[in-house]
Amino acid sequence: MSNYETYLAIGVVIPLISFVILLFFGPRLGKPTAGWVAVSAMGASCVLATMTLVGWHGEDSIARMSLTAAASHNQFHWADLGAVAVRIGVKLDSLTVIMFFMVTFISFWIFVFSIGYMAGHSDEVAGKSKYHRFFCYLSLFGFSMLGLVVSSNLLFLFIFWELVGLCSYLLIGFYFDKKFASDAAMKAFITNRVGDFGFIFGLMMVFFFLHTLDLDGAAAEFAHQYRSESGIFEQGFVINLFGWQLSGMTLATAMGIGLFCGAMGKSAQFPLQVWLPDAMAGPTPVSALIHAATMVAAGVYLVARVFRLLTPDAQMFIAVIGCITLTLMALVAVVQTDIKKCLAYSTLSQLGYMIFGLGVGAWIAALFHLMTHAFFKAMLFLGSGQVIEGCHHEQDMRKMGGLMKKMPMTGLTFLIGVLAISGFGIPGMGVGLGGYFSKDEILAVAWDRSYMWNEPIEHHGDAGHAEGDLQSTSAGTSVAVRIVPEGRSDNSPAIHRRDPMPTVTRSPVGTVESTPGLHPSLRDSNVSGIRNPPAINRRATFDRPYGADRDVAALTAADTPDHRNAESSFRLVSDPHAAIPSEPRDSSRADAPTSIKAGIPALPKWLFWCALITAYVTPFYMMRCWWMTFMGKPRDQHVHDHAHESPMMWFPLVVLAVFTFVASYWVFRPMIADAAAVATNAVAVVGLDGVADTAGQAHGELIHVHDAHHWLATGVGWSWLIAFVVAFLIYRNGLALGSKLKALFGPLATLLEKKYYFDELYGFLFVMGCRAVAQVCRFFDTYIIDMFANLAAKITERFAAFSGRGVDANVVDGVFNGLAATSMDISNLVRSPQTGRIRNYVLFAAGGAAVVILLVLFLVSPLAPGTMLSAINP
Amino acid sequence: MADIGLMHYLMLAAALFCCGIFVMMTKRNAIGILIGVELVLNSVNINFIAFDRYRLIHGLDGQIAALFVILLAAAEAAVAVAICMNLYKNLNTIDVDRGDALHG
Repeated sequence: MSNYETYLAIGVVIPLISFVILLFFGPRLGKPTAGWVAVSAMGASCVLATMTLVGWHGEDSIARMSLTAAASHNQFHWADLGAVAVRIGVKLDSLTVIMFFMVTFISFWIFVFSIGYMAGHSDEVAGKSKYHRFFCYLSLFGFSMLGLVVSSNLLFLFIFWELVGLCSYLLIGFYFDKKFASDAAMKAFITNRVGDFGFIFGLMMVFFFLHTLDLDGAAAEFAHQYRSESGIFEQGFVINLFGWQLSGMTLATAMGIGLFCGAMGKSAQFPLQVWLPDAMAGPTPVSALIHAATMVAAGVYLVARVFRLLTPDAQMFIAVIGCITLTLMALVAVVQTDIKKCLAYSTLSQLGYMIFGLGVGAWIAALFHLMTHAFFKAMLFLGSGQVIEGCHHEQDMRKMGGLMKKMPMTGLTFLIGVLAISGFGIPGMGVGLGGYFSKDEILAVAWDRSYMWNEPIEHHGDAGHAEGDLQSTSAGTSVAVRIVPEGRSDNSPAIHRRDPMPTVTRSPVGTVESTPGLHPSLRDSNVSGIRNPPAINRRATFDRPYGADRDVAALTAADTPDHRNAESSFRLVSDPHAAIPSEPRDSSRADAPTSIKAGIPALPKWLFWCALITAYVTPFYMMRCWWMTFMGKPRDQHVHDHAHESPMMWFPLVVLAVFTFVASYWVFRPMIADAAAVATNAVAVVGLDGVADTAGQAHGELIHVHDAHHWLATGVGWSWLIAFVVAFLIYRNGLALGSKLKALFGPLATLLEKKYYFDELYGFLFVMGCRAVAQVCRFFDTYIIDMFANLAAKITERFAAFSGRGVDANVVDGVFNGLAATSMDISNLVRSPQTGRIRNYVLFAAGGAAVVILLVLFLVSPLAPGTMLSAINP
Repeated sequence: MADIGLMHYLMLAAALFCCGIFVMMTKRNAIGILIGVELVLNSVNINFIAFDRYRLIHGLDGQIAALFVILLAAAEAAVAVAICMNLYKNLNTIDVDRGDALHG
């Protein structure tokens, strides 16, 4: 067991210890101490996470791979579910390491903030101090979230998944004596149950068809079944949805969608998004920690983790859901006046971006967005918490304004958050904040999938070479095929695209095989030991498309030099080490062309356009939010007079602001790219992955890609500025212009303010539906079930009466009483001679003797009466 | 008048026996019953002696049996009188009809 696993495992357990301590000794520890216990526990975890991150950062790619492989074998056997062994272990790869760091780091600072926050807030619920309970729940959440991150097994992931859901429920409803808080908690919990139902459905399909719950094992089995067209890929069924026929949707797709349903609940995606805004009823640190930075990102993390189990159809579903969420929720955020609700809708929209990114295959960009978003959104929420706290529990932005002078630190850090979420950056310079890199990359990939997809994506020729280095990674099947653009060796930037169908190693001529029969660890050691082994420089023939029919002939026909331009000319490099930038790629060339028949359908163009337009909406509403809160004239003198900030609360803000910068440039982006090599099998990982060391460099390449379509580069890159200007023009003179505009849009604004009437719709459909069903059930219960029950009771009663009064009383008792009476009579008869008087006895004895004598004389003796006398008198 | 024979003795004994039984049945006085018992025993004695006299039983068995009965009657009288004493002590009377505690 490597140090890293030990660190992570201990890091998970420490908050659990804190939870137990606070659970039993919390009330005794008192008001500030209980909080510090939780803070120090999370701090210890954070130190371990930092040690892991720094150490892991120091390892090179090969060492990481062998550590990952070693970790997947260092697992403990936990239980057997039928024939499936469930093993408990730490999933150790770059993604785990950075997620772990992100969760512990943000949690630690939010815990610190919480102490300041709770100092100014009532900790009394229903008349009793629940201060310790707050930190107790927070510790439990820390444990659950970290457990979720390190789980190597879908079952454990699910267990921790439910635990974070529980913590969310407990913390939203922390002030459970207030009706809106307990209602919001219930809403969150029930909505999540809906998603979890799908999750369990997917989990059962994994269990049933893939015969394992291990993430790597399931991926390997999935790829194997794909190659052999057996099991889960064999059984297709047709779904006809509003005339849109998903023909041949396999169970594999259904499984992917099922697993994604869990993410839909937890990450509050489109049909289940209703709970997240209401969840803002919880204390603000909870909103920042659970409902902005970590737990809601767990859905994204889940999709990233099960990415290898997603078919292109399932990915398309994910992309559509993500796109709907990000667009609709961003529009709602525009009309929000509650500062926390505004941030909540912004969170929904950004989660939509992540889900959308995963759906379109921008795995790296989506997770990078998750990381950057976690930092700045946690900061924004803490900032709003500071504002609410400072403004005497006022959440309405219309009553704020001009707070910048009163709360300079909060205002500045909030502004940094606004800039980060808006995608602030200067195109072409490689300068920007998190959202600028990550969101733009998602958009670039979406554009790529929408517009570039049907063009020939690979060529061979004197300059372009296709190489199918089929190699197995820890999944045993993952083949990181990357399409590197022509002229990559000249360092000219262009698109790098992962091959859409790299898992296909089945070849009709048998030229391509993954190393069979080798234990994964051996394969891994091969991987890590040999660079570009000659045996794997093979010609790859891809066949059996997932969806679209790409004809080999067409591709071969397209294989002509005139298609060799900057966008459409690629060579195919397949290499799990391709993530290492320094690796020489031209050593692994094959001279044979690669035919790619397999493909993933191009993205519908409206998805891209929705995401692009939302990129303009996001900076607008964020700027509006900031401006209404911190700039302009104070609109409520009372609130303004009360405004203040406390160091305990703004210091975490500053730390998180610094990390918003750091996360944009530091190890996160390359580490995620590194993780992509093992955590995906690149069914469709499209991105600027790996080849760039830093986000800045990646973005530089993105810009170059956009150079071909300059309007896109400008359009995405400067969107923040355009939207900021619009927001400034509308809100610089107070709210009047905004109100006028709202009146202008009339019904549309009302629709947005009512959140598309989703609450009403669900209220009508589900709550009323439930009640209607309940009424029917009640009717059924009262008149049908009860009828039967009453009938049965009546019959029983009648029978009992018959049996009791009739049979029992007369027959049974009659027999016994009769017996008793008879014996009584006989006894009386027998006892009547027993008078106890001697004279009577003498009489009886004499009488008896006389009778005996007479009997002897006249009956028994053969002698006549005279004979005896004659015998005496001879 | 015919000679007095065995039959006469037996008739006398039977009459005496019946008298004894009658006394036992009719007397309520415990002593009276004792007297009745003596009569019954003596009627048996007469039978024994008569059978012995007329050699209907072997040797002196009849006389010896009669002596046994006399002895028995003496012992029985002693026990019976003792019972009478106790009866009197408990019930303050020797009316045997009062001593019916063993009635069924």
